[in-house]
Amino acid sequence: MSSFQLPTHFGRFGGCYAPETLMPALLELEAAFIESQGDPGFTSELARLARDFGGRPTPLFHAQRLSKEWGVDLWLKREDLLHTGAHKLNNAMGQALLARRMGKKRILAETGAGQHGVASATVCALLGLECVVYMGEVDIERQRPNVERMRLLGARVESVSSGQRTLKDAVNEALRAWVSDPDAHYLLGSALGPHPFPTIVAAFHSVIGEEAKRQFQEQSGVELPDLALACVGGGSNAIGLFRAFLPHQQVALMGVEAGGRGSQPGEHAARWLGGREGVLHGCRTLVLSDEHGQIQGTHSISAGLDYPAVGPEHADLFDQGRARYEVAGDAEALAGFQALGRFEGILPALESSHALGWLMTHQGDWQGKRVVLGLSGRGDKDLVTVLPLLGDEA
Amino acid sequence: MSAFLQAAIRVGREGACPAIAPYLTAGDGGFERSLAVMHAIEKAGAVCLELGLPFSDPLADGPILQAAAQRSLAGGMTPVRTLELIRAYREEGGLMAVLLFSYINPLFVGLGGLGASAERLAEAGGDGFVVPDLPPELAQELQEPCAELGLGTVFFATPRSSPARIRAAAEASTGFLYCVGRTGVTGQRTCFDAEVLGWLDQVRALAGSTPLAVGFGVAEPADISALAGHTDLAISGSALVQLLHRTGGSPQDGAQAAHDFVAALCRAQPK
Repeated sequence: MSSFQLPTHFGRFGGCYAPETLMPALLELEAAFIESQGDPGFTSELARLARDFGGRPTPLFHAQRLSKEWGVDLWLKREDLLHTGAHKLNNAMGQALLARRMGKKRILAETGAGQHGVASATVCALLGLECVVYMGEVDIERQRPNVERMRLLGARVESVSSGQRTLKDAVNEALRAWVSDPDAHYLLGSALGPHPFPTIVAAFHSVIGEEAKRQFQEQSGVELPDLALACVGGGSNAIGLFRAFLPHQQVALMGVEAGGRGSQPGEHAARWLGGREGVLHGCRTLVLSDEHGQIQGTHSISAGLDYPAVGPEHADLFDQGRARYEVAGDAEALAGFQALGRFEGILPALESSHALGWLMTHQGDWQGKRVVLGLSGRGDKDLVTVLPLLGDEA
Repeated sequence: MSAFLQAAIRVGREGACPAIAPYLTAGDGGFERSLAVMHAIEKAGAVCLELGLPFSDPLADGPILQAAAQRSLAGGMTPVRTLELIRAYREEGGLMAVLLFSYINPLFVGLGGLGASAERLAEAGGDGFVVPDLPPELAQELQEPCAELGLGTVFFATPRSSPARIRAAAEASTGFLYCVGRTGVTGQRTCFDAEVLGWLDQVRALAGSTPLAVGFGVAEPADISALAGHTDLAISGSALVQLLHRTGGSPQDGAQAAHDFVAALCRAQPK
C-alpha cells in the first residue's frame, strides 16, 4: 500500500488514526517534508527567515536575581523574544514553507491561546497565503488581543461553538475543514495529531534546544545543565527544548502540565495524573477520557495548556523513564508569573508560568542545580486573565 | 463473514438497485426508540444497519451527526449500552446485519481494547465494525480477532485515495468497502453525477470481488436510482438521523417516520 516512509510511532504511541478522507493529504505532507529536508534551498530559506524575520537565535538569559532568590541557577531560553512573542513561529514558518512547496493556497490552523494563530497569520501574510484560524468561543473571549492581532494580519478567525469551545474543539473543526479542502494545508500547531505532524512539528522546534545547549556551554562554561524544564500542553515547546538533551542522560527532563484548580475531572489538564491511554485527534497517547472513552473537559488558567491529550513523543519519553511530568496549578502559575516580572522584568505567558511556578514550588529539590527553562512566550496576551485574579496584588 | 452480512450483500448484488443500509446514532431519542426504529427499518426493507456508537469528538462527522451523538451521550448512552441495543434487537428476532460504527477511543477505553470489543460485539450478536479513524495499515489489532470471530471489518475509499490504497483497503475489508464519493464530512449532499459514478466503477475494478457500499450524502430515492449498477449497498445516515430528530414524539412515531423514509429508498428504481 502507498503508505508512510518515516517511522509513525514513538514506542507504542503516535501512529496515524485518521479517517481515509485525510490520509492522502497526510501522505502528501510526509513526502513533501522528506523532500524538503534533503533540499539545501529549503533549509537555507528557513534559516534565513528564522534569523531575519523571526529574530533567531533567541537569547539564553541568566536570571541572576531569581537564581539568588530561589537558590537555583536559572537560565531562560527566551522564545518570548521570537517575533510574535512565542515559540510557535518556528513551526509556522517551517510548515508554511512546506505548504508553499506543495502548491497550497490556503492555510488552516487551530489555536488555543492564540499564539499559534498569530504565528500562522503572520507567516501567511509574509508568504502571501490565505489564512483561516479556528478558535473556540471561550478562548476568543479570554485571548481577545490575539484575536485582534490575527485579524490585523489578514487572517479570518472562525469561532468554534461545538463541544467545550476550546482548543480540542478548534482542532476538530480545523481537521473537518481540511477534509473538505484539498487546496489547503492544515498547519497544526503542536507536536500532536496524526503522523507526520508530531515528527514535523518537533523537527521545526528542535532549534530551541540546539541553540540553548550551545548557548549554555558558551555562557556558563559548563558542558550541560542538570535540568531542562518546560510547560507541556500539546508539548511542542517542551519537545523542541528536550530533543537536544535527549542523548545526555545526565540532563533531567521535566515537563509541567496544567493542574488547574483541582484534581476532579474537568478541573485540570493533567494527562499523567488523570489520563488513560487512548486515541484523540489521530494519535495514540495519554488522553483525559472517562471510563466510556468519551473525552473529558479540561480547565486551565492558560488557554495553551487547556487540552485533553499530550503529544505522543512525550507519552513515550515518560514510558521510557527518560522524562518526568508533573503539575502546577493555576495558583502556582500565577505565582511564577509574578515572580518573573518582579525579579527579572519579564512578564511570561501563563503557559510558561507553569514551568516557573513548578520550579518555585520545588526549588528545595534543585538547590545549586543548573536549570534551563523554556520560556515559551510573553505574557502581554494574558493580562486580561491575570489582572482580575490578582486584584490589589497586581 | 456472518450469515446476516452475507444475506445483506446478496440482496444488494441481485437487486436492480443497491440494497439499503441506514445509519442510526444509538440512543438518540432513547434506547427504546432506537430499538423500535431498528425493527421498523428492517420491515421497510433495509438489509444492514450501521449503528453509530456516540463519541464526544467525531472527526469525520458534520453538525447533524455531532449533535445526535451529543444528545445520545447526554441521555446516558455508553458503549456497553450500545451493545445491549444490538443484543435486544437480535433477541427480538432482528435479521438485519448490524455493523458497529465507532471511533476508536470508545472501543479502546470503553470496551477494553479492540480485541475485547470484537469478542463483546460477536457475543451481543453484531456482525462487524466500521471504525472511521482506523486505517487498514493500523488495523491488525482489530482484523485478527474479527477474522476468528467471523466479524466483518470495513475500510474506506475516497476520490483522493490512490489506486494502491483502494486496492489495499478492499483487500482488508471483509463485508464491503465503504466508498465516500466526495471530500468532506458527513451530512452534506453528494451529487452522484457521471464523475462520481465513473470513480465508483474504477473502485469496482480495483476492489475485485469485495462488495461496495456508498455513503456520505445519500439522502433520497433519486440518489439510489442514480447509484443503481454502481454499488451493492447504499448507506444513508444524516438524512435519517435528522428526520428522526425533527419528528420527535414516541418510539412509535420515530419508527413510523424511519419506516416511511427507508421504504421510499427501497422502492427506488434504476434511472
